[in-house]
Amino acid sequence: MSSELQLINAAKAGSVDAFTDLVCSYRDRLLRFLLTRCSSLADAEDVLQDTLINAYRYLDSYDPRWRFSTWLYRIAIRNAGKLRGPDLVDVDSVNDLHDEENDPLLQCMADSERENLWVVARRLLNDDVFAAMWLRYAEDMSVNDISKALDRSVSWTKVNLMRGRRALDEELNGAAAGSEAYG
Amino acid sequence: MDKLATQLREDAERINATVSDELDHRIVASLRAVTPVAERKPAPAARPPLFWWASTITGVAAALAVIAVVNRQVDEQPVATPAPMAAVQPPIELNMETAMLTAPLQEELEALQSDLKKAEEKVRRDIGL
Repeated sequence: MSSELQLINAAKAGSVDAFTDLVCSYRDRLLRFLLTRCSSLADAEDVLQDTLINAYRYLDSYDPRWRFSTWLYRIAIRNAGKLRGPDLVDVDSVNDLHDEENDPLLQCMADSERENLWVVARRLLNDDVFAAMWLRYAEDMSVNDISKALDRSVSWTKVNLMRGRRALDEELNGAAAGSEAYG
Repeated sequence: MDKLATQLREDAERINATVSDELDHRIVASLRAVTPVAERKPAPAARPPLFWWASTITGVAAALAVIAVVNRQVDEQPVATPAPMAAVQPPIELNMETAMLTAPLQEELEALQSDLKKAEEKVRRDIGL
């Protein structure tokens, strides 16, 4: 953590190398997260690039009371939202984003006997609830950090994490009863 | 960690996403072209030297004005003290008042003296003097 702070200070002083070292451990995780929110790998990479550039540009405004990863995810979520634009928010358009042939998430997914739970989650949950679930279970973030990253209240985050879990549980139990596909 | 959380974590790790070398070079090149934006902190407004002279002169003038006003008030203080009642109110005409007030008493005294004289004469007459 102290080395992260040193890298942040060096990057604030203008060192690009320090910044690339700083974000090195977050890049792949961010890209993986962005794949769940973008319509193509190219878009996800563009958003990742914009996120890192914005983070470097505005690093001086970073508040060390936050975890650096929380701050990065917040920028990434905002940039991914900008890329989609308000005209793509309706349900049909969002469903079109993730058709199976072009879905970057499906393309990057290792073959498995069962459907990846995150694909199920994306089908069942709206963007913010999905992001909250991702940050909680894939990134192991605390509820407070998730609420900061999503710019939501702590109570909203708790309630929607519970709803997301319940929705997934219901889906999994139903599917398990039908085909015993889920372990 | 419960079963669902474990599955979610495992499934997240099954998503193979790595930043390619090409993207890495692109990002580094972009970062080198970017100038960090310094956080805007409210800087104290720069004052011209004239401002300091003007405020000094204004301050001194104000202090002098206060001193002058206070001193003037001290000089005028005796004038401001309330004048004695005699100077303010017209003198009461005591003589007239006295005459008016004592007139009934005088009459009463004369009546008493007259009665006393009558009573004395009556006593003298009765005892045969």
